[in-house]
This record gives sequence, C-alpha cells and structure tokens, in this order.
Amino acid sequence: MSDVQPTEMVVEGPKRSAWRNLSYVWLVPLAALAVTLFIAWQSWAERGQRIEILFENAAGITANETALRYRDVTIGLVEDVSFSADLTSVVIGARIDRTVAESLPDDAEFWVVRPEVSASGISGLSTVLSGAYIQAAFDPAPGAGTTKFVGRDDTPLVLPGMKGTKITLRTASGSQLTPGAPIFHKGIEVGKIESPRLIDNGSGVMVDAFINAPYDTRLTSATRFWQTSGFSVNFGPSGLNLSVDSVASLVRGGLAFDTVFSGGGPVRPGQVFDLFEGEEEARDSVFSETIDNAVDLTVEFDESVSGLSAGSPVLYRGVRIGAVSDIGAFIEDMPDGPAVKLRAMISIDPQRLGLAADAPAAETIAFFANAVKGGLRARLASQSLFNTSLVIELADIPDASPAILGIFSESAPLLPSVPSDLPDVGATAEGLLKRVNDLPVEELLDQTIATLAAVESLAGDETLRAAPDAFVALLDDARGLLGSPDTQALPAELKAAVSELRAVSEELRQADAVGKLVAALDAAEEAATSVTDVAADIEGATAELPQLVADLQKLTDKANSLEVEQFLASAGAFLDGADRLIDTPDARALPASLTAALDEARSALAELRAGGVVENTNATLSSARDAASAIEQAAQSLPELSARIESLVAEAEKTLAGYGSQSSFNRETLSSLRDVRAAAQALSKLARAIERNPNSLLFGR
Amino acid sequence: MENLRSAPPILTARDAGLIGCTHCGKVDRPGVARCARCGARLRARDVDGLQKVWAWLIAGIVIYIPANLYPMLSTASLGKTTENTILGGVIELMHHGSYGVAGIVFFASIVIPIAKFIAIIYLGLSVTRKVHMPMHRRHTLFEIVEFIGRWSMIDVFVVAILSSLVRLDFAATITPGIAAVSFALSVAFTMMAALSFDERLIWDARNEDVE
Repeated sequence: MSDVQPTEMVVEGPKRSAWRNLSYVWLVPLAALAVTLFIAWQSWAERGQRIEILFENAAGITANETALRYRDVTIGLVEDVSFSADLTSVVIGARIDRTVAESLPDDAEFWVVRPEVSASGISGLSTVLSGAYIQAAFDPAPGAGTTKFVGRDDTPLVLPGMKGTKITLRTASGSQLTPGAPIFHKGIEVGKIESPRLIDNGSGVMVDAFINAPYDTRLTSATRFWQTSGFSVNFGPSGLNLSVDSVASLVRGGLAFDTVFSGGGPVRPGQVFDLFEGEEEARDSVFSETIDNAVDLTVEFDESVSGLSAGSPVLYRGVRIGAVSDIGAFIEDMPDGPAVKLRAMISIDPQRLGLAADAPAAETIAFFANAVKGGLRARLASQSLFNTSLVIELADIPDASPAILGIFSESAPLLPSVPSDLPDVGATAEGLLKRVNDLPVEELLDQTIATLAAVESLAGDETLRAAPDAFVALLDDARGLLGSPDTQALPAELKAAVSELRAVSEELRQADAVGKLVAALDAAEEAATSVTDVAADIEGATAELPQLVADLQKLTDKANSLEVEQFLASAGAFLDGADRLIDTPDARALPASLTAALDEARSALAELRAGGVVENTNATLSSARDAASAIEQAAQSLPELSARIESLVAEAEKTLAGYGSQSSFNRETLSSLRDVRAAAQALSKLARAIERNPNSLLFGR
Repeated sequence: MENLRSAPPILTARDAGLIGCTHCGKVDRPGVARCARCGARLRARDVDGLQKVWAWLIAGIVIYIPANLYPMLSTASLGKTTENTILGGVIELMHHGSYGVAGIVFFASIVIPIAKFIAIIYLGLSVTRKVHMPMHRRHTLFEIVEFIGRWSMIDVFVVAILSSLVRLDFAATITPGIAAVSFALSVAFTMMAALSFDERLIWDARNEDVE
C-alpha cells in the first residue's frame, strides 16, 4: 500500500550512473590501499639481497638477531641458520643491503666477531652485551654481486681493501712466529704477519706478512727482515747489552725490518724475503748473498787461516767492502820443494768502494792495481779482542816490498799479501797475569799495617789526647785576658792618648816648624843620595855579568868538547860562579841597602810626621818626590839587571838542555838557575812596584 | 520489543512524505535542504551513506592487514632489538604465562576488530536485503558495534604510553612500529564506517519484512 507513496514523494534528480554516484569517501580505502601497498613494496625493497655464507659452526649466531656489519655499520641481518645438504657446515642465510650486495666480490671475507682475549689485547668487548655479529670485509667491486661465500673461523689479519703490501717471509723455523705478531720498522708497528705455514718440500716455513700503507714504501729489495724476540742479552767487549722491545713483542714475538744498504729496487706484492734470526745477521747477510757486479780477487796466505771462513768480511780501512767467498789450499812448486799455500777468494762490492754500481770489473781491477802500487796489501786481522774469527784486511802498508796486482787470464787477479801482526792474545794475557803476580802486594800490605799501627799508637798517645785540654785552657786564658779590667780599660786609654796626640799636634801647629821642615828635607835629600849610591852599587854588581856570560859560553864550549866528568866539574864551577854572584855581598846587600834607604825615607817621613808639618804637605811631598825620582832612577837599572840575569839563565838552560834532560846534574843546575830567575823576577817585580807607585815606598803601604 | 514487533505498522516520516532530522528528530517537508531547528543536513534516506560505510570499511580492512603483519612494538633492551607484531606479542605473552593479558590483547586487537568488520558487513548486507535478520537484533548489533569501536583503541593507547614512558636509551627503549599507526587508522576507519551507517535503513526493511 505504502509502497508506491514514498517513491512518489521522494524528490530525486535524474538517475545518475553508478560511477557518478560514487562518494568521495571511496578515496579513503584507495588511499589506505595505496599506503599499504607502498609499505609492502618498501619493506620488500628494503628486505635486501639474500646471501648465503658457509661456516664451520654457528656459535653465537641467531636468526633474525645477528647483524652483519661492514666497517662497523650494520648492513643486514641473519635470516635463517640451516645446515648444508651434507651436514658438514652451517649455511647462514642473511639479507643485506642491496647497494652493498651489488658490490660484494668473490673474495669478500666474513667472520664472526666474538669477545676475544689474547696476548695483544682484548677485542670484541662490545659483543658481550650486544651478542656476536658477522663482520664483512671486502674490496668493493661494483657489479660483482656474488651471493655465496665461505666464512672464516678466525679473524683475518689482513682484510681485503686494506692498503699496503703483502709480502712473504721465508725462514727455517716458525717457532717464534705467532699469527698476528707485529712487524716493526724503527720501533713503530707497521704491519702484521699471518699464520706460518710449511713450505711444501718441508725445508722451511713461509709466512705471509702485510705492511700497511704508507710504510710499505719503505720496502725495497735491499730490505732485510729479522726476528725480535722481545728482548736480547748480549755480552761482549762493550759489556752487557740488554735490549727490550715492546711488551706485545715480548709476549708474541715480532719482526723488524730495515733497509740495510742503499740502492734497492722496488718491491712487487708477494715478494719473498728471508727472515733472519737477528738484526746483526740480517745486516751481515748483505754479503752472504751474491753481490751484483761483484769483482773476484784472490789472496794467498802462508800462515794459518784458522778462523777465516767463507763469509768472513773483507775490510778496507775498517769499512766492509766484500766477503770471503771461498778458501782452498794448493801446492806451489818452490825452489826448495813443493809448499802448501792457502788461497782465499774474495768478492768485492764495487759500490762499497764508491764506484758506480754498474762499473765494469776492469775499472775495479784498475783501482786495485793502482792501490797495490801505492802499498795496498791484504793481511789477516782479528775481528775483535775476544773473537778468534779472522777478517781479511786491506791495509796501506807504506814500507811494503814492491808488488803488483797479479792479473791472470784464467783466474781472478791476485792481491799480494803481507804477514799479519796478529797479537797473541794468550801470551799477552799471560804477561799481564805475570805482572799482576809480581806486584809487591804483600809488602804493601805489611807497610800499610805498620802505618796503621803507627797511626794507632799516635792516636793513643797521652799528649795527643791532652791536646784538646790544653786548647781549652788556652781559650780560657784568652777569655780571661779579654775579660780583665785592664784590657777593657784599653779603649779609654786609647781615647786619652788620641786626645793627647791631638793636643800635641795642635801645639805643633802653633809652633814655628819651618826650621824643622828644612832639617827634614835635608834628611830626605840625604836618603835620596844614599839610594843613588845603592843604584851605583847595583850597577857595579851587574858589571860582573858579561864576564859571567863569557864564563858560561866557555863552559858550554867545554861541555861540548870535554868528557862528562870534566864537564860536570866546570859546570860545578859555573854554578859556583853563579852562586858567587848571588852570594856577592853587593848583590845580597842590594835589598838590604834598598831597605835601608827605604827605612831612612820612612824614618824621615816619620820625623816629618812627628814634626807635625802636616799643613805644609806640598813642600814635603815635593821633596819626597825628588827622593822618589832618585829612587826611580835607581830602580830603572833594576829591570836591566834582571833582564841580564834572565838571559843568563836562559842561555844556561839552553846549554844544559843540550846535555840531556834526565841527569840529576841537569836537574840541580836547572833548579839553581830557577832560583836565580826567581831572584831576578823578585827584583823586577820590586822595580815595577816602585815605578808604579813610588808613594808606597815612601809611606810604607 | 515483543510488543513492538506485534504492534501495527509504524508510520515513519518517510512514509508520511516528510524528512526526519537525524540529529534533533524534527520532521520537515521534503525539498528543505537543512533542518529548520538544528541546521543539520536533511536527507530522506542516506543511500550514499551505505556507500560510505563500505568505503570506510574497506579502508579499515585494508589497513588492518599491515597492522597485523608489521611490528607493533620495537623493544630495544641492552643493545638487543626485538620487534613484535600483535599476534606475536600475544603468543609471547602466553609463553610467559600472562594468559590474562594475552587474552585482553587478543580480544581487543584481533577479536573485536574482526568482529566489527563482520558486523558492519552483515549490517550493510542486511540493509540491502541480502541477509535476513530480525530488525531489533540488527539494531542491537549496530549499537554494540558503535559502542565497542572506541575500545579497540586501547592497544594504541598502550603503545603510545609505553613508547613515551620507556625511553631509557641503552637499557630499554620502546618505539611504536608501523602496525601501531595502521591499527589506529583501522580502528578509526571502522568507527567512521559505523558512523556513516544510517540506522533508519534498518527499519526501512521492516515493512518489507512484514510483507
């Protein structure tokens, strides 16, 4: 009934098509669908490339938890852990970032990082909390895209993609080689070694080593490797030598390398080097190998070559220029029957001689031929004091009998040799011991004991013990003296005396002192005259000197011609003469008269002073200056005198020096002459003092 | 209800040639665009509304798929990151023996949304007379769906609260996953679907039922 009505009532527009009728709300599910699909697509795209890695075991690896890392950045996640078809290994399926997966080369390395404690430290500590992870290392190769790998069980020492040079070391025994042991160059860790492996034929051990860039540029063909066991003890002539390397190398052992000679060529990756036991062997090894462009020479020896062996160094002025390559004996027909001679073949490195590395052999031989003409000879020498091994030394021997470099067409040139002057160490040591034995040790001890006993008895002496007491008493006396009232009253008395003096001088000033001054000046003049007299005396004394020199000359002549005894006698006479000169009353009186003159001057001055003519100082000083000039005149002759004596002594010395420097006579003569010279010097010193400051003479200062 | 069912046919506004306002109940003459009292838009029957219901519902269902496939929570504890989907979380909770919590999560996150989908589909189909159901039960069902819809958001609240509270850096950090957003959207969409449903359509079928 009501069916029709609503349809009539509903006012609807024209019937729209189903599509036109669509609500905008439909956009919502479309958007939801789009978003969902986008999320799905994104997660699928982000899922990454699946790769499979084969491991021996899957310790610490959990599906959906264990991460894969490359350069410590997570690149993926382990998806599943399963067995390989034959159950011999574990296949780890992992999803990794697509961009990374694209660049995975065949030789990419995968290993599980777990906490690890070793001699060189603790690694992977972060994995204690976060769990193990798989580390990847590779040299990116875009487009390679490998998906199946074999993982390693250990941490590789040399990671793909590391910059550096990989080399191989060859050694006889790998006992000291620990995988991962450091390689040092001048004390800096520059690389590591891998696990040693046996050479296929069993003749040794090979170990791969990796030298990090940029240190690998230090490698040349002249590089030598040696083992450093951490510490080495070496006892030699230079004493005990203990060297300790880094602690890590102490524990794990280590290697070191250095370039031992210049001119090495570049190294290609994988080059094989020999590993030496120690640094010395490594450095010496340069000559045990074939030298490029080596020049062979032979040397023949008549004496024993015990201690010389192939490889022994050949030294030229102390520099190693080559090595002995071979030693052999041969029989030579001599005029008095066949004789066995020893012949050493030596290899010389022309480079070591300063010649060009590629110098022709003829140039080196020419050098030696020239040097032999100049006296170059080979001889055996001891390597060191405590070493019995020998070296061949090429030495320039100036007085060697002439020889030439023997040049043969079929054999190496022959270098002439001279007998060695090897010291017999044994004999020397014996002699040393004998001398030590002969030392009067016992007597010395006896004497020492006696001395000590004497010292002891002296120390035990009563008087010595009493000495301190006496000293104390003396001090007491001194103290008593100082403490006495008389002594203490002294300053007062002094003061009184001074005041009296002052009064006297005051009196003097008031009195007319001109007469006294004249008298004083007369006295000064008198003194000056006496000084002049003294000077005349000195001149008289010096007049004898030329005669003395003549005597000396005569003496020298005699000494040259006469027997020793006679010479001694005449020398004695000369000395007597010299003594006489010194002893002459005039000479002796010289200082005395000078002193007297000075005394007079001083007394005159004292009179002057006592006379109280202090105000008329000018006048006094002028007269004193006159006196001083007289003294000066007298003194001027003094240097002359001393110079003469000086020259006399010098001549006498020269004469005696000709006679010899050791005899006691000479010593005595010299000492007496020295006395003479000392006297002369005293004279000249006095003269200089007077010259410099005549007033000092006058005022006694 | 029994008396209603047995009551004589009710004259609806539509039957009377009028349009009832769904907001305030005032009836207006047809041709009036807006309710004279409350200003709401007037439509005799929102036929497009059913279209909206379907659209929202489909959007909700679509977005519900990633909500279940992707992790809801990403828990990072001491360097280890664990991601759990809704169902995975439920299973884990059960493994830990928390059956109660597992039950609640399962009920709120899986049972209710799915039940809602089914209910709305059913309602939509029943209105277009493809399925037969007593009208009162339909209405009850609709009311239940409307009421329970918001409670599905409980999951989202838990995730939001956890991820804002548990931020202890290395020790423990919880971050919401894609599923959390998807789930929230899905719940919102189904709520929109329920909202878009014009319940008058339920009763329109009455007359036909009676006939």
